[in-house]
Amino acid sequence: MTVRQILVNGREIQLTADEIADAREVEPGVFSVLRNGRSFEVHVQPGPESFTVEAGDYRFQVEVRDPRNARRRHDSAIGGGRQKIAAPMPGKVVRVLVTEGQAVEPGQGLIVVEAMKMQNEMKASKAGKVIEIKTLDGATVSAGEVLVIIE
Amino acid sequence: MTFNKVLIANRGEIAVRLVRAIREASMTSVAVYSDADRTALHVRLADEAAHIGPAASSSSYLNIERILDAARRHGAQAIHPGYGFLSENADFAEACTNAGFIFIGPSAEAIRKLGSKTSARVLAKAVNTPVVPGTEEPATHLGHARAIARELGYPVLLKAAAGGGGKGMRRVDGENDLESAIRDASSEAERSFHNGEVYIEKLVENPRHIEIQIFGDQHGNLVHLGERECSLQRRHQKVLEECPSPLVAAYPELRSAMGEAAVRVARAAGYYNAGTAEFLVDADRNFYFLEMNTRLQVEHPVSELVTGLDLVQLQLRVASGEKLPFSQQDVEWRGWALECRVYAEDPDRQFFPSPGRIAQLREPGGPGIRLDSGVYPGWTVPIDYDPLLAKLIAFSPNRETTIRRMLVALNEYAITGIETNLGFFKEILNDPEFRTANLDTGFLERFMHRRKSKPAPEPELEIVAAIAAEAYTSVRQTNGIAPAPGTAEVSRWAAQGRERLR
Repeated sequence: MTVRQILVNGREIQLTADEIADAREVEPGVFSVLRNGRSFEVHVQPGPESFTVEAGDYRFQVEVRDPRNARRRHDSAIGGGRQKIAAPMPGKVVRVLVTEGQAVEPGQGLIVVEAMKMQNEMKASKAGKVIEIKTLDGATVSAGEVLVIIE
Repeated sequence: MTFNKVLIANRGEIAVRLVRAIREASMTSVAVYSDADRTALHVRLADEAAHIGPAASSSSYLNIERILDAARRHGAQAIHPGYGFLSENADFAEACTNAGFIFIGPSAEAIRKLGSKTSARVLAKAVNTPVVPGTEEPATHLGHARAIARELGYPVLLKAAAGGGGKGMRRVDGENDLESAIRDASSEAERSFHNGEVYIEKLVENPRHIEIQIFGDQHGNLVHLGERECSLQRRHQKVLEECPSPLVAAYPELRSAMGEAAVRVARAAGYYNAGTAEFLVDADRNFYFLEMNTRLQVEHPVSELVTGLDLVQLQLRVASGEKLPFSQQDVEWRGWALECRVYAEDPDRQFFPSPGRIAQLREPGGPGIRLDSGVYPGWTVPIDYDPLLAKLIAFSPNRETTIRRMLVALNEYAITGIETNLGFFKEILNDPEFRTANLDTGFLERFMHRRKSKPAPEPELEIVAAIAAEAYTSVRQTNGIAPAPGTAEVSRWAAQGRERLR
């Protein structure tokens, strides 16, 4: 079996082969995991960068890295000081508040997305310059879609 | 007049509830759907389905002509409006009747009489149903306002005549603040509504929101079916309801007092079918009529479980002209019911709506658990409508056991792919103040402040999460499918085949 590197919320977890065998996929993406006599139901959903895994009342971001393509993944992971502003939920872009090349302050509004008749203003988390706007007014966006990149 | 085919002018969980009730009554159901709802659960479950237009509700679920046209095409004889959308629209009720359909609800005339808060207030006063003390005409000059406020007693509430959403509203604690408060409220109302008129009402402090279910037939029989406690609200949106109200359980005489007050208003309006009178109740247990909701209420299941009545079946019978099959003294209340409104929203991001595809769904069951749901796994919750997904209802002989059953059910209930408020309900139900039933309409706001951040997960859970993600990757790889992440589409068949080979 290939040894993979597993990161749970960014922290590495070491697994033995035995433990892995205790997981059964009972429905697509739903695993029954038995460990030390305890029964867990775990929901796994693949995302663009990592898995979203729900267990108990908690949600984890889990990265499973295969050593064969680890280098490539590492390269793309090094993004310098880039902030990618992604849509938190599917919806419609009602206003783009910045332009490419514009300097932004932390907390500055970048883009307004509307869903279910509520508007959500997405803000810059730190200062930087808008290097790319990947959407436009009126566009329909899906959850996790990157809308603005700031450097 | 009887009927055997009913068009449901609604969507979501209530449309599913109505499809089931109509089938139970051996009638045929006709669902309607917009472009966004072609694959919605109510369409899948109904006997017949009619397309009524684009996703925007103004062109579909709110479009009277398209709904009547669908009813004609499918040969329905009756129309059930559900709640929301056109349910409290007197013009719709009238249009149904004029087009020869039975409207399953009160008469258009009764809806009109009770539709505006001021006309309902006048009606209530006429039959000695208490309303929040105040005036019906605006306070024009300061001397007049002072006299009114002094008579009502401070604190008072200034309300914009054209108001809504808290604009033009001011709390005033004493006479010294009255003049400036009127100036501020009036100018805010002027700016917001181009109408600076301000009313004065007695301020009901930390009220409970308790409502009374009423029911009437077309032969003049009217009963009340007891109360529901709806004090847990966020931005005037109910979140969790219960029956009985803990306050009424402690002071049982409140039920008949409020019930009779509600029936008096309904009788004065010539009301029949299901309706709900909303009241504010203060710390001294004085109650004040607010308004009548002239439709089936979202939270009707808690009353159903405690009274043992099926309100939708009753609606169908009463609409066909039958008499109520019981009288007031036959109504009994047994046990305790709670309802959680499961919304697609994120409690950790100011309850922002979270539409999207439901990746996985596990629904709870067991003794005393009822789930009125409008969703299924793989379905995409549209961005166009209210975020209510389902109502989870628990029932047992007493409040404590019902809370425990609800917690068990919430633990079983899993919805992935979108955010929901399921976890938030667990926090509320475990809150000591909720357990002692110390409720008022400010409860949730106070709860949000004292809400603790979640403790870190036990290390075991992280390991289990890692095991599951590893297993996911390894199953897909062994089947010759490119390893996810990035490959969301995995054959269900292949994954199951692998399990069988183990």
